[in-house]
Amino acid sequence: MSRITIGIPKALPYYYLNDFWESFFSNLDVDLVYSCDTNNEIIERGERYANDEMCLSLKVYLGHIDYLKDKCDYLLIPRIEDYGNRNQMCTNFLALYDLVNNLFDVHILNYNISSKEDELKSLIKMGEEIDISEEDIKKAYKKSIKLKTDSKKSDQDNLLIVAHPYVVYDESIGKPIINMLNKYPYNIIYSDCFDAEKCNINGSILSPNLYWKYPKENIGSILMTPNLKGIIFLSSFPCALDSLVNEYIIRKIDKPYLNIIIDNIDSLTGIETRIESFMDIVTQN
Amino acid sequence: MNCYLGIDIGSISTKGVIVNDQDEIISSCYISTEGSPIEATKRLLNKLEIKDDYIIKGIGTTGSARKIIGLMLDANVVKNEITAHAIGTIHLYPNIKTILEIGGQDSKIIIIRNGIVTDYAMNTLCAAGTGSFLSSQAKRLDINVEDFGNIALKSKTPAKIAARCTVFAESDLVHKAQIGYSKEDIVAGLCKSVVLNYLNNVCKGKKLEEPIIFQGGVSKNKGVHKYFEEILGKEVIVHPNGHLMGAYGIALLAKKNKSNKEYSHKLLDIKFITLGTECHGCSNNCELIKIYKDNELVDTWGSKCGKF
Repeated sequence: MSRITIGIPKALPYYYLNDFWESFFSNLDVDLVYSCDTNNEIIERGERYANDEMCLSLKVYLGHIDYLKDKCDYLLIPRIEDYGNRNQMCTNFLALYDLVNNLFDVHILNYNISSKEDELKSLIKMGEEIDISEEDIKKAYKKSIKLKTDSKKSDQDNLLIVAHPYVVYDESIGKPIINMLNKYPYNIIYSDCFDAEKCNINGSILSPNLYWKYPKENIGSILMTPNLKGIIFLSSFPCALDSLVNEYIIRKIDKPYLNIIIDNIDSLTGIETRIESFMDIVTQN
Repeated sequence: MNCYLGIDIGSISTKGVIVNDQDEIISSCYISTEGSPIEATKRLLNKLEIKDDYIIKGIGTTGSARKIIGLMLDANVVKNEITAHAIGTIHLYPNIKTILEIGGQDSKIIIIRNGIVTDYAMNTLCAAGTGSFLSSQAKRLDINVEDFGNIALKSKTPAKIAARCTVFAESDLVHKAQIGYSKEDIVAGLCKSVVLNYLNNVCKGKKLEEPIIFQGGVSKNKGVHKYFEEILGKEVIVHPNGHLMGAYGIALLAKKNKSNKEYSHKLLDIKFITLGTECHGCSNNCELIKIYKDNELVDTWGSKCGKF
């Protein structure tokens, strides 16, 4: 029997879970295949399936699914519900599996991430789908690593980008903006470069009532960045969580900030003007 | 006489000023962009009357088409409109703290403390409450947009028009007209909705401290000006050259950054052509703009990978 290939779309959960996936599946008898970096074609493919209420990042996700659907036996799509009390997820992460299941005729490999469910048990159930024994799943799970990142300390003047990794690291959404910022003599720090648990605690200090995990960790980084000269909030339109959290936090900080909401990645001139103006302010202050 | 040229090429209008060594505006011009920044700049330069004894020592460009026109005229300064507006305004009003600006497609607020820009905001995704919205509503009501302000001032009871979104505002406007509101009241209601829209969408969370100045094309509208003062409960200054402030600011910057270079008066003799193509080198299918100056390819814009 030939090895099965599992497709991983380079979007949304990829940016949080791929380190784990890579090491977990390397201990199993399967091959992984990834979609390419986001480009215009991926976005156009996604837009064909999307409806008008989906955020740009979710449209991109659907584009990656479309790209991968003929290149693998199964698509790996977790259903992420929550990470416990006051660590809720954006509903898109909860809906991914059902969304793709409804829109595409594909085989999906699914497991649940939820505070109500044991992750390993869910993975064992997933293993049954592709004839991998409970034993093997347990072994692979034990061997797999869950990487923790921590910031690079820098004495330079820092610019902090507060954004979901799936926005800021995306080749077509965040990358062009980071390229514009690289022209300036500042060190760029991303909000996910810090220890997530510490960020979570700091996020609660800035906003005690916030119950979304990722936005909380994003804003927590504000309190952890040394020599902070300016903050850029980057979100994909229409992100419900960011539209609330960022607007709220903007009123609580006394640093120069810029709020960029990206919808159509084709028109960067407006964004360029905003960044130039913002950098004038950062430099003058 | 030394002079400096400042050009502000916006989405709807193109503005130009000539400034002398004493920072005075010696010539100015305001025309419609009509969708073609290059053609508009050529018309503008014709109208600006650059006299024979003017020695052009600097050229600055700002506005959304600043880059392409900067390349065309070989400008010594190309800067964004926020900075240009702030510099022009601070020069005339050193104590200014708040600039409200409503243009054709953009609206922005600039916060200044001690002569330095400390914060700004621009409208985000939609052009609600900007000049183009007023123009299209004027057309619908069969009124010249220039008369809008005076008509609005006649109204005693402005119609309540939804300020959140242009589309809602427009349907509101139709309903109000159908149930018999007078034109004055509807026009006044529109002016008021522009102000409310601006305060809700652009100024959110910002402290508007006096002195406050209102500029951009829409500042010519007396109705909008009146409602700004009424709603804010503060005095709002409008300068007669408020629509030229970006061009003025960029001319001052061109003066500040002047070199020994002198520009020829034959600015328009250069052949400047742009061609739009699509690159099919990868799946990005970037839209490219190729720029030819005197039949020579000088630049290509729009590629994501940096191939050009």
